[in-house]
Amino acid sequence: MTGSLAAAKLTVFAAASLTGVFPQIDKAPRYNFAGSDQLAFQITQAAPADVFAAASPKYPDQLYAKGLVYKPRVFATNELVLIVPRANEARIRSVYDLRRKGLRIVIGAKGVPVGDYTRKALAALRLTSVLKNVVSEETDVKTVVAKVALGEADAGFVYRTDALAEQRDLLQLALPARARPKIAYELAVVKATKHLQAANAFVARVLGARGRQALRAAGFGLP
Amino acid sequence: MRALFTAALALATTITLLFLALPVAALFLRVSPGDLVSSLGSSVARDAMVVSLKTNLIAEALIVVIGTPAAYLLARRRFRGRALVLTLVELPLVLPPAVGGIALFAAFGRTGLVGDELNALGFSIPFTQAAVVFAVTFVAAPFYVRPAVAAFESLDQSVLDAARTLGAGPGRVFGRVALPLATGALGTAAAVAFARGLGEFGATIMFAGSLQGVTQTLPLAIYAEFAREPDGFQLALALGALLVVISFAILLSVKLVPSWTRYALTLPFRSATSS
Repeated sequence: MTGSLAAAKLTVFAAASLTGVFPQIDKAPRYNFAGSDQLAFQITQAAPADVFAAASPKYPDQLYAKGLVYKPRVFATNELVLIVPRANEARIRSVYDLRRKGLRIVIGAKGVPVGDYTRKALAALRLTSVLKNVVSEETDVKTVVAKVALGEADAGFVYRTDALAEQRDLLQLALPARARPKIAYELAVVKATKHLQAANAFVARVLGARGRQALRAAGFGLP
Repeated sequence: MRALFTAALALATTITLLFLALPVAALFLRVSPGDLVSSLGSSVARDAMVVSLKTNLIAEALIVVIGTPAAYLLARRRFRGRALVLTLVELPLVLPPAVGGIALFAAFGRTGLVGDELNALGFSIPFTQAAVVFAVTFVAAPFYVRPAVAAFESLDQSVLDAARTLGAGPGRVFGRVALPLATGALGTAAAVAFARGLGEFGATIMFAGSLQGVTQTLPLAIYAEFAREPDGFQLALALGALLVVISFAILLSVKLVPSWTRYALTLPFRSATSS
């Protein structure tokens, strides 16, 4: 009883790609899902977060270096995939088709983890010319998914787990193995937390059997 | 008792002004003039200014050119369902802009209501500068049309009747009598609509997306930049300060300029009818 009361007060800032799976692991905390970069910024502005879970080690490590969070731990891995609307009217079969003129591609903005991974993958494939077809740079992965699922964009780059969550409206195409950036999710307890015990319990839960099972079911890889 | 009342009014005014002005003042205290100038020289800032200016001028022109005659009709004609029509015009004033964005997709998106027709004509609206114009127009138009209806409604009917009696056709009455009489109010409404359009965010980011140099307006650039390390916050502050200055200038000019135009334009007519 006291445990759930403490957990009820817990506030977890988590990457948008964790929107589906975190409430399955623990539905008690208050969640704030957004782009990892925005969440990190909010934490530097003293937002009342107890736990920070990001789609990249970059921001937790930065906050750790600034002394704002305890040591981050990797809890999941993910994969970058290419998505197209289920109807796929642009007939995109692989990432190489994205060079075709006039396509409308939506990606994450620079600094948003999914956007940085996308640029890394395209650079590895020597396909940076694809960026000319980008019509919008979104501030988190969920809006990339939404605009492709709506059929308003021809293609986008998102995490495999986001594509799975919307597979009714989307087709996903795998990227060549050499172009798949290593994607690790990290979480850390925020030093300013007033609920250290509950925050640690949440982290343990994510890293524990229940968390691993839910993460795997949602399509995440495990460290 | 009277002193107490005066003190209460003064206190309420102080709190109101502090609450509204403090964040704006803080914006300027966080950016040094040097940073402001160097930030505004960056490519993100310059592109956003160009996109904002271009799309808002087009939207404003559409709003005024089409909105003025529409407002004239809505003001001068009584018909069934008029209250309903006026409410429809007002709706974007209170709708969350995100709803506007979704609604624009539903209507003009590729898979939207008229998406196939637009496609057939070779148009594709979402994610283009046209989409920004659509979003701005949708959100800002009521700020012009609603006061414009009120302005035309408040015209002295006897003046318009006199013009008709003297042989002016309805087009001439509109162009030579109603329009000049309403100029002050229309100018104010147009300025407020322009200021609102410059600040448009929600409908734009959904329907037009955000791409530097194409669809990224000033408010979108602020949102895209504020969390970016290492100096995005500085740039966002600078862009914010710029928007504050522009908006302030527009709203202030509304208060200073029309006071004499309205006076100059209405005076002869008023003296004519009151004598």
